[in-house]
Amino acid sequence: MSDAISVKNVSFAYKTDEGQSLEVKALDNISLDVKSGAYCAVLGPNGSGKSTLAKLIDVLELPDEGTVCVLGNTASDESDIYAIRERCSYVFQNPDNQIVGTIVEEDVAFGPENLGIPNPELRERVDEALKYVGLYDLRKREAASLSGGQKQKLAIAGALAMRPEVLILDESTAMLDPVSRDEFLELVEKMNREKGITVLTITHDMNEAARCQRIFVVKEGKVAMEGTPSEIFSKPDVIREAGLELPADIGLVYELAKASGKVIREDDIKDKDARIGAAVRYAREAKAVPKVKQLKKHENTRKILEVSDLSYSYDGGKTYAIEHMDLDVYQGEILAVVGKSGCGKTTFISHLNGIVRPQSGEIRFINEDNSVLTTSRKKDIAQIRRKVSLVFQYPEYQLFEETVRKDIAYGLVNMHAPDVNIESRIRGAAIISGLSEDVLDKSPFELSGGQKRRAALAGVLVMKPQVLVLDEPAAGLDPIGRREMFDTICALRETGTTVIIVSHNMDEAARYADRIVCIKEGRKAAEGTAAQLFESEQKAREYGISMPLLYEFSSKVKEKLAKEDPRFMMMPPLPDPAHEAASIIRGVLSC
Amino acid sequence: MLSDISLGRFVDTRSVLHETDPRLKIILYIVYLVAVFVIGTPQALIALFALTMIQLITAKIPLSVTWSTLKPVIPLALFIFVLNIFTIKQGEILWSWRFIEVTDVGVSKAVLMSLRLIFLILSTSVFLTLTTTPLKIADALESLMSPLKVFKVPVHEASMMMSIALRFIPTLIEETDKIMKAQESRGANYDTGTALNKLKGYITVLIPLFVSSFKRAEDLAVAMDARCYRGGNNRTKLNPLKIKGRDIVVFVLFLAGAAVLIGTDIYFI
Repeated sequence: MSDAISVKNVSFAYKTDEGQSLEVKALDNISLDVKSGAYCAVLGPNGSGKSTLAKLIDVLELPDEGTVCVLGNTASDESDIYAIRERCSYVFQNPDNQIVGTIVEEDVAFGPENLGIPNPELRERVDEALKYVGLYDLRKREAASLSGGQKQKLAIAGALAMRPEVLILDESTAMLDPVSRDEFLELVEKMNREKGITVLTITHDMNEAARCQRIFVVKEGKVAMEGTPSEIFSKPDVIREAGLELPADIGLVYELAKASGKVIREDDIKDKDARIGAAVRYAREAKAVPKVKQLKKHENTRKILEVSDLSYSYDGGKTYAIEHMDLDVYQGEILAVVGKSGCGKTTFISHLNGIVRPQSGEIRFINEDNSVLTTSRKKDIAQIRRKVSLVFQYPEYQLFEETVRKDIAYGLVNMHAPDVNIESRIRGAAIISGLSEDVLDKSPFELSGGQKRRAALAGVLVMKPQVLVLDEPAAGLDPIGRREMFDTICALRETGTTVIIVSHNMDEAARYADRIVCIKEGRKAAEGTAAQLFESEQKAREYGISMPLLYEFSSKVKEKLAKEDPRFMMMPPLPDPAHEAASIIRGVLSC
Repeated sequence: MLSDISLGRFVDTRSVLHETDPRLKIILYIVYLVAVFVIGTPQALIALFALTMIQLITAKIPLSVTWSTLKPVIPLALFIFVLNIFTIKQGEILWSWRFIEVTDVGVSKAVLMSLRLIFLILSTSVFLTLTTTPLKIADALESLMSPLKVFKVPVHEASMMMSIALRFIPTLIEETDKIMKAQESRGANYDTGTALNKLKGYITVLIPLFVSSFKRAEDLAVAMDARCYRGGNNRTKLNPLKIKGRDIVVFVLFLAGAAVLIGTDIYFI
């Protein structure tokens, strides 16, 4: 097979407005080849140069040094640029910012129209692309009215209508929920299989990368590692050093191998069955239960929020976004709210500090002296907002002040907090949210994506809320950023703050939350610990949620162990690989 | 909620007038606009009323929609009426009180002026806003203006900008809603307190909205580049505007209507 993409010794640095190259090179003498028809992933932490690489391949930027050769064309002179872009399509991260056409079918036609494709071929291409992605019935709809997942499929249809040979996905799934993400990936994999389109996907999602045929790990503008997923993921130390992490199932195999004094091998993880087999083998070989840190458990404390019989309808009672919802929230716990997209999660959390007022039912905030505030009383709302803070998805858009310091202080000053030392509160909030002091005097718009997220969080923490509600706090962050975000959340729990998180990621919900509430079609479907909620796959499906990958995998391992030796002690699953490994080994040793 | 705002108030009843080529509708609109200002006799006004009724029925516009389009204009029509009736001093005096005089010419002028305004609004809605999507209007303008390309007027670019602006209106409304809620959570206030406070509240929304709009514009430009956009030259269209036989029939009939209207006016003058 020939190479679809060939990158040789390429260096690239972004330019300042004055045309000078920045000192830090985004890409530093990087080389890689992608075979025609391959399905590859590029992994790497934020700022590693992944997106820059993708842009150079699609000739959206030109290299400072070295050559980029795509489908036999070298991206150097003007005529070749369009020869490459015609055959190499690009799907970006934000679905909203790449749709040009107002109507679905007109957006799909945008690319071929630019190529000057006449009717009826144009119509044929558009219809074919729309049918392929399953949006044909929506072709006359306004593009803005589609859901996020549908918008990304629309972007794929727009790419398909170009009849491309190479498809570049630049974190295209980062803003999608798990169901849409799966559908999107299946679509892409189908295109790769059926049409032989070479796919290069840039991603933070390890599970997504594990589905590819080949992975490039990029670090500081260079390829740090290249190989099949099993080659890459059998080197956990290199993975961690590159700021990435293992997919949860491989993580469990790794922990079990470590406990039995072995090192994980490539063959152990080449497919699902191999992983289960290896996990069972390592579990049997272990001689002792590995020592793990005690999991912190939330002690039962006083009730702080009480939601009773809450209902809300956007269309005057025809359909309900939230219906007869009851929920108690306790002080100092981490509570995860999960459920499919559109199940009413956002409407629900918007009620908690009175941004949306209940149509029926009530939200009560209970003070330490047992006095009660409710969002149904208008005069209580200002007080409730001082105690219950709400942070929506991608909160970085709410930054607006000249300096980070002023922005953080905004809420505090606004809420007329009497005689507090504003400066010390700002510093405190910055520390908890992981913001270094030297950025406080910068403009918030100069910060990196991760720093902006932290600044926005600090702007809420500065009010010292007793309840913090976070909608998808880790959305779009790389693995390091995600971990740091959850470390911050755990640290907040230590200070007695109650944290309510909305999450799509079941592994994270299970791992970090003390309790999980599952909403299905506006109603509370289940409430309990992760072990209770994810007791079986069937139950999870009933609630309309997917199992955490770790639980799903671990239950298969345990089933196999129990089959081989009926004395194997089945324990409820634990939410992180190290603890689960210890629990499995304890079960084996008890035989 | 903000997202309830509908722009252009397009009402999709799929009538003949909806399907008619938007370029012909724009031409018809201009013709009727001129007619409305040219005619002045009561007979012609009655004819115009009849014609407008026929247009509304052809376009299958429900009465309630017609009423809601007219409602906001009524105060202005009344104002024009009052202004005319008290300021025109020509003709016979019908009624007077101190320095206020109402003349017969004044009354007829006042009626004519306010009716003109009402018919103006009605023909705008019936030919354009209620029956034609903003996108089609942009398309039609591009096509009608295309001769101006000879004089280096960037017709294609202007039309592309207009359709992108239309495309992003719902997105930006959604975003505004989101930012307002987020800032409200931080204690921003939009509807109570002093004017200065309200202004401050809106600044917390406007700045992030501007910043993100620029970011969106940048992203969109790159995305358009990646999809081989190179300006209007050699571009084809998925749904090119095409004049069909039926369009011509509609066009000729309404044109004849306008001719009858002006004819009536000249006859009775």
